[in-house]
Amino acid sequence: MLETIAAFGRIAWAPIALLCRFLFGKVREPIGAPAKFALGVASILVLIASYSLLSYQRHQENPRDTTVPNASQFVEGWQKVIPKKDSPTDWFDKQQRKKYLESSWLYVDVIASFTRLFAGLSIGVIISLVVGMAMGCLPRVEAFFSPTLSFLAKIPPTAMLAVYFVLLGTDFELFIGMIAFGIFPTLAQGIYQAAKKDVTDHAVNKSLTLGASQMEVIWNVVFQQVLPRVIENVRLQIGPAMVFLIAAEWLVADEGFGYRLRMQSRLLNMNVVYIYLIILGAIGFLMDLLLSWTRRKLSPWFGE
Amino acid sequence: MTENNDQEEFALDVKNVSHWFGSNKVLNNVNLQIGHGQIVSIVGPSGCGKSTLLRAILATHPPKRGEIWSDGKRVRAPNRDVGIVYQHYSLYDFLTAQQNVAFGLMLDETSLPYRALVPWKWWPQRKKHMQAAGEYLDKVRLSHAKDLYPNEMSGGMRQRVAIAQALIMQPAILLLDEPFGALDEATREELQLMLLELYQENLQAKKDNGKPPFTILIVTHELNEALYVADRIIGLSQFHDDGKNGATIVYDKPAPVFHPNDERDFLAFNAQKDELRKAVFSPENLQQHAEYVTYWNEQKQAAT
Repeated sequence: MLETIAAFGRIAWAPIALLCRFLFGKVREPIGAPAKFALGVASILVLIASYSLLSYQRHQENPRDTTVPNASQFVEGWQKVIPKKDSPTDWFDKQQRKKYLESSWLYVDVIASFTRLFAGLSIGVIISLVVGMAMGCLPRVEAFFSPTLSFLAKIPPTAMLAVYFVLLGTDFELFIGMIAFGIFPTLAQGIYQAAKKDVTDHAVNKSLTLGASQMEVIWNVVFQQVLPRVIENVRLQIGPAMVFLIAAEWLVADEGFGYRLRMQSRLLNMNVVYIYLIILGAIGFLMDLLLSWTRRKLSPWFGE
Repeated sequence: MTENNDQEEFALDVKNVSHWFGSNKVLNNVNLQIGHGQIVSIVGPSGCGKSTLLRAILATHPPKRGEIWSDGKRVRAPNRDVGIVYQHYSLYDFLTAQQNVAFGLMLDETSLPYRALVPWKWWPQRKKHMQAAGEYLDKVRLSHAKDLYPNEMSGGMRQRVAIAQALIMQPAILLLDEPFGALDEATREELQLMLLELYQENLQAKKDNGKPPFTILIVTHELNEALYVADRIIGLSQFHDDGKNGATIVYDKPAPVFHPNDERDFLAFNAQKDELRKAVFSPENLQQHAEYVTYWNEQKQAAT
């Protein structure tokens, strides 16, 4: 009886296994570049098709629905975010150009948010690099910072907003502090681990036998070795940095992506919200590509 | 380091060195002098303290008692006069073969502020370093691989680069810590021949009344290798009459000298290998040191 059930199971499973093999291939089976590209495009097409279907259904039920906007609503949304004034007659006239660009939500918000993001990321990366490298190289610094860093890493930065309000106010400094101190514990720990684990004692001792000073050990040996890992860690921190920025802007800003998303989502202007989300994703994606490219250029030995 | 002219006749002078970890006594009053241009093999049972002795000479773990002198200078910290090649290459991943070899010259001859502040002086110097590195790569027959990163090279190639990297510094003594242990037989033989070629350069320098350029202390598990590449063989062992207080040198005799073109006749070593097994590796034979530690007596006799 059991054998019959097992045999039946095997027969029933065979077409499913065959289909899975056809769709997903084998574990770690390499695929060519054209197939990789085609699958990437397919995933975007699937996303667009699913969205279109959902939007179509919603508009069948309610033609004035704004929660899942259709193409014409997106065009309306786009017109809201681009400059509302006529193009300047003289593009070289600073005043005219400024007036024109500042009539665009998108321009104002991109400048506001990304100035904050870059400033916060830069300060956060510099602090994390100095602390992480010092911890990875110098056991005394490691012993001093290690418990504090582990503790801080467990507190969600968004939960610290009230502290930042009190200490930094609600202006530019708040966003910088939020991003810089938000990414600092995780990034510093990542750099510290890389500096400690990726550089063997042998590599350090050898550099000393080659005449390196302590500073050269840190800069010419440890830093050069961990540089690609630092860039990888910074890449991973772009997402969290954006979360901290949007959260802070959502609460206190009067311009920027977080502010606009809050205002437009309250009005159920999802055509603007989705446009902002796509732009946010695209800029994040471009930053990621730029960092990947930088890593390949600065550390060609690291591979993919 | 303290200058001492009396010591300069030795590339390495280990004086009454003892070392212990808690109650575990590892080295017991080790005395060892190595003259300029010697290639010395050190063998001993596993765990007898060969690596501890090497680390003490390198000064990454200075001995608890005793002194180490290199070329007339007291060794208190890792420095450019004592070079090291480890079993696992420890090349710098972020440098090409040529850059790895030139790395020591850069660290030894220039400083970080110098390279940053006077680049117009540093760049021509860099060119010379790279040229010298190219010559050393030629010496280890790797000029074709100068632009490869360590992860693009085989184990044998990496070990050659590591040897060139250490040799270019012309240290008073070069320590090789089981340098061929991770290599296949063919590559091992090639690198053994390379050591014999270096020894020939020493002989030529002596003939020309010059200072022999290469003094090497090699730790190996392989008795044939120890006898083949060296002109002197040392046994470090805990199997002696005061063994409870740690290992000491229980064997120190000349080894047969081979020319690179000589046939590799390991049968010729049999008598000395038997003697080594008895003196160094046999727990039953707890002999007086004087019986087998005769190197300098033989040298004096040969000189008279």
